[in-house]
Formats: sequence, structure tokens, C-alpha cells
Amino acid sequence: MPLKRYVIVLLAMVLASAWTAPQAQPLEVVATTPSLGMLARAVGGDQVRVRVLAPDDRDPHYLDARPSYMAAVRRADLLLEMGAGLEEGWLPAVLSGAANPAVNEGRRGHFRASDTLSLRRSVTMDGPNVGHVHAEGNPHFNIDPLRMAVLADALAKRMGQLRTEKADYFLARSEDAAQRLRQHARALADRIPADRQFVAYHEDLDYLEEWLPVKVLGYLEPVPGVPPTARHLRRLVRDLEGREGRVLHARYQPSRGAGFLQRHLGWDIHAVSLEPPVDADLEGYLELMSQWAAVFGGG
Amino acid sequence: MSKRNLNHGGTGVLAAVAIAAMPLASPVKAQEGVDLNISLILEGIYFNELREGNESPAGFGGGHHHGDGHDHGHHHGFDEGFNLGHSELVLEAKLGDFMDGTLILGFDDHDVEVEEAYLRTRSLPAGFQLKVGKFLSDVGYINSHHPHDWDFVDRPLVNEYLFGDHGLQEIGVQATWLAPTQSYTLLGVELLQGETSGVANYRGEQSAINGTERILEDTEGPRLITAFAKFAPDLGPDHAVQYGVSAGYARRYQETEAHSTRFEDWNGTAWFAGLDAVYKYDAGRSYGHGNWRLQGEYFYRVIDVDRRDVEFTDVDSDGNPTGRNIGDVRNVQSFKNKQDGVYLQGVYGFAPRWEAGLRAEALGLTNEIGRGDGSSPDPSYRYAAMVTFRPIEPVFLRAQINHNDYADDHGRDRGLDFMLQLNVALGAHGAHRF
Ligand SMILES: [Zn+2]
Repeated sequence: MPLKRYVIVLLAMVLASAWTAPQAQPLEVVATTPSLGMLARAVGGDQVRVRVLAPDDRDPHYLDARPSYMAAVRRADLLLEMGAGLEEGWLPAVLSGAANPAVNEGRRGHFRASDTLSLRRSVTMDGPNVGHVHAEGNPHFNIDPLRMAVLADALAKRMGQLRTEKADYFLARSEDAAQRLRQHARALADRIPADRQFVAYHEDLDYLEEWLPVKVLGYLEPVPGVPPTARHLRRLVRDLEGREGRVLHARYQPSRGAGFLQRHLGWDIHAVSLEPPVDADLEGYLELMSQWAAVFGGG
Repeated sequence: MSKRNLNHGGTGVLAAVAIAAMPLASPVKAQEGVDLNISLILEGIYFNELREGNESPAGFGGGHHHGDGHDHGHHHGFDEGFNLGHSELVLEAKLGDFMDGTLILGFDDHDVEVEEAYLRTRSLPAGFQLKVGKFLSDVGYINSHHPHDWDFVDRPLVNEYLFGDHGLQEIGVQATWLAPTQSYTLLGVELLQGETSGVANYRGEQSAINGTERILEDTEGPRLITAFAKFAPDLGPDHAVQYGVSAGYARRYQETEAHSTRFEDWNGTAWFAGLDAVYKYDAGRSYGHGNWRLQGEYFYRVIDVDRRDVEFTDVDSDGNPTGRNIGDVRNVQSFKNKQDGVYLQGVYGFAPRWEAGLRAEALGLTNEIGRGDGSSPDPSYRYAAMVTFRPIEPVFLRAQINHNDYADDHGRDRGLDFMLQLNVALGAHGAHRF
């Protein structure tokens, strides 16, 4: 039967391909977000080639599982994801379509950043779970350079497992990067007047609390992933009446809710980037830290 | 096996669906150790025929026409009033990183059906993947997508009438290879049992009548082979496009239909080929505001059969002798039916969480029916407009108007349908496919 011959040919192709496993020279790294791409460059230096999937001006929660992402992951030696559910709306589909077992979950080629860190708690971990997005804790830790410094070390160790002959090189670079991240964070924190307060759109910029002397007073979203409601905004205004503060939101988040607080509380609105440019190295991220601090009068 | 028609007395009520949904609205994770995701998709549809048109497009089933094994009844499958649309229970489990298992049960208020039940490898080398079980074929674009991922309430005509009520859904094996290229290039082959009404209808051997053998014979599976290629260049963060080409060959296509005194039997082969394309624009704003999606597919199908009718009675319905004997053979003929269909649709996010879309369809632009003396019925058309609102991500409410312009034996007639759809996804809802 001619149909059965197809099966045999296909199986032969599968088996034949098992013997061809070329070892590319630079480590092919695919990072889901620009911050992770930055970290891969900072740690990997000239030993890595980095492709970032999520653009810096898009919400990494809501991307399409694009075929071009699958093509990129197909050729990756190492896949970096933030984890904690940040990419759950699209990365699983990308991974299953990429047909690259080297970067499957649980393999050395799959680095889930959230596994190496303790995350800030999220209201979704306690409350009725409608917003579903932060159930494993707040996954936007790229806003915190101190956690990025910890991550640099973990990433260097992972890269060292994949390229043992370069392990020392990666470790040295990660130590340098971690030191610069911590120094810059301290310098910026010193320049900011104490007790600056703010409201964020989403549960993301609250990570600023971790390294700047600032305090988050609330969120425009009633629950992460659920758009601001009029009732929730009115309650925020009632609670914050008479206090000094500012409203921060990512450029890709709508500004309407922030406008409501501005009108009723007289607060300034700051639209900020949450990610460095997609091709950023460590300098690009340090610059982004300065921009965040500048919102509070530092930087 | 032919499935029962979905067109039963609908008792589902939108409100009931919404209320039933609430207490379940939390992700379901099975106990640790077993990586099992469960989700439930509930749907309610309100249907109202505002103006009655022709029931089915000329040349595609209905009446005495062939070309479709299912008795469609109403082509849309909805009752006037409330319908429990197309609900699904989805179970996905991982066997380490070796393979994934997926079970999708589709149900309405009368029937439960296994829509998909397959294993898919995760650890073959060099970009190969195998899928085994019952699954939706990856030919074309919309065929492998489940209804809750569609932009319109109903299935495009070309998919429904060239393949079947559930599209091309078969038991078999799929092998794909993703090329290690910068641009996404996926090649795939499927070996399928061959039971889909539109392209691989199978009846098997029918008993002889008064010693006269029937033209229909048993044919071992797999009877249907398909192949497809998908290509998607990287166009940067704002634009994404995917092109597809696919084809299939069924080495057995059979029909049998009882007329008043004879069985009409077809036995032969069928093939199809098609093109599809999808373009998506991401405006970079929240909740889909400013986004575009354009999507279109074209399919061409040829049914190539021998026909031979056999008399099963020698008296007509009034009890008068027909003058023929039981077992007499009539209408020996070989012919081809060549038909096609196409649709094009666009959806625009006109406000955060709001989308509007238009769809234009044609069925039978090529409509050459070789049966009998041959005929070329006029093409049929359908136009749809919809508005969708997504209050929160797993919920959408959609209103749609269909304007049907179907040809049939007696001429053209225009109908107007209104549909209201509520769809809720509960539990660990998996990642969306492109
Ligand atoms: Zn988030």
C-alpha cells in the first residue's frame, strides 16, 4: 500500500536526524522579555547570541504565540522566561510548537527565572481568583535590580553548565553585573527624598519599594488583569484624599484611570517604560533605573 | 458513524450558563505529581431567523443532492431561540517532557462527543513531532481551531461543506517537521482513517440485492492522506503573517442513498487543495484596542466516482409494478463533481475590549456537478457582521448578523439570521494558538 510507505519514510527521517546534532559556537539564547535579554548579554558577553521575543513597549502577559517565536525557540540552546505565570498566555503554545526538546520545561536549556527568586506576594494569591494573572506571586521582578543581581548569578551558573569551558567567564561577568546593579540602586535610593508615595496601574511597579525609599498606596486595577472600574477608582480617591503622591503606569497601559486620580487628587501622572530597549545591555537597564528614580525626584 | 444532528430542541439558557459558571471560576490543578490542566468552556447561543432564505447552498447536500453524507437539516444547526452552543471540557496532561496528552469532549444538551483525544511528542529531535489519536487536521487555518477561538459564531461555509460539520476531524497520525530556519517553516503529513463526510465519506460494503452485488466495497484504512506547509516570516513586533498551503487525497469516497425504488451508490476517490493566509496587526495598546486580524481561505474539491443504482423493490409507492425487477441495475455512470469555496474576514479592535468584524463567503464559484446529465448550479454567498465584547479575558459576548444569499434549484433566496453568543472559559485555560 502506498500510504504505508509514507510512514516508513517518515520514521526513517526521524531516525536519521537523531545523529545530526551540531554544536553551534555562541550559545543561542532566546529571552521572553527585554530585561532577561539584557541580563543574558551582561552575563554571556561574546559567548551568546540573544533574541528577545516580547517588544519593550508591550504587555508581556498578552502576546500572541507567533510562528516567528516558534522559529526562534526551535533554534535556541537556552530559553529564558520570567515565569510565575507572566508568559502563561503564550509561551506554552510557543514551546509546544517549537519542537525543540533541549528547551523543554525541566531541561537545562530552560531557565525559569522565578524559580530562583522569592517573589512579592500578590493580592491574587489570597483573594477570589478572577484576575488569574499573579497567582504564583508578582512576576514583574525585572523592576527590582536587586533581584536581577541575584538572577545574574543563577544565570551564569546555568550558562556554565551548558558551556563548561566558559563557566568562569560567565561567573566573573555576572559578579561584575551584580555589583554594578547593586551600586546603582543604592546611589539612586540615596538621592530620593524619603517617603515618596505612588499608585501604580498594575501590580508591577510596586517592586520599586524593594530598592527605593518609596511606598505604593494602591493600584488602579481592582485585581491584576482586571481593568479599572469606576467604583474602584472612586474608592481609591476617597482613601487617598488629602495625601501627596503620583500615579505611575506603563506606557502600554491606558491613562484614563490615572487621569481620574489626577483630576480628583491633583497628582502627577508618569508614564514609564517597564523594560529596557530590546537590544539593551547592562547600561541600558541602568539608564532605565535612573528614569524610574527620576519620577520621585532622584536620578 | 454519522453523528446525531445537533438540531434538537434546545433548552440551554444563557442566564443559566452564566449562573452555573460563577462558582467554578477558579483554576483547577490536580494534586502534585500529576501535571493535569482542566478547563471548561461553556457557551450559550440565542438564534433568531429574521428572514427565511434557502436552507442549503445549491450543489452541497440537502434535498436529493449528494456530496455530503450528513443530513444537515438546517445548515446552521441552531434552533430558534436559546441553544446550548458548543461547550467543551478540555483535559491536558504531561508525561514528563516526553509527550502531552489532550482530551477534548464537546457537548450540547443531548450529546457528548470526543472531539480530540491525542498524544503529541515533545522530545523527538531535529524539529520532528508526531501526533497520534483523534484530532483536528492542520490543513488550512480555521480547521484546527476550536469554536471559542473563532472570530465569528459559526464555521465558514467552505469548511462546513467541503469537509464536514466538525471540519476535517479524523483518527490517525500526524508528523510535522519545523525547519531550523529564521522564518517559520512547518511541513506536515497526516495519515487518517478517512471518514469525514465532505472529502472521505465511507460507507463500506452494502449487502447484495437479489443476487446483484453493490458497487460499494470495503476499503481498509487509512484511506485519507493530507499534507500541509505553513510559512511565517518574522515581520517585527507590529505585524505577523502566516501563509499555508494544503492538500489531501482520499482513496475511497462512497455514498449510498435510498430513493423510492432503488439505492443510488457512488464509489470512487476524492481530493482537495487549498490556500490560507492570516495577518495580525498589534497596535501595542491595551485590551486589543487598535488591533487588526485578517484571515482568508480557499479550498477546491474534486469527487471522482462511479455510480451504479440497484432496484430494491418492483412496486412504486402506490403499489403499482414499476416494470423493473428487484436487483436490476440502472444509471451506470462515471462522473466528477468539482466544487470550491472561499472566505475572507477582517476584525478590528475599535475600543479596548471591543471588536467588530466582517466576513464575506462564496461557495461553489466552481460548481460542476457531473451526476446525471451534469449541472452547474449558481454559487451561494453569505455575509456576516459581528461585534464582540470581552468584559474580562475568559468571557466574551458576541452579536452577529448573517445575510445568506443561497442559490438552489428554484432560484436565489435571501435570508437573515441573528445570533447572540456568550462564551465563558473556566479553569486553567491554555495558551492561545496563533
Ligand atoms: Zn502582571
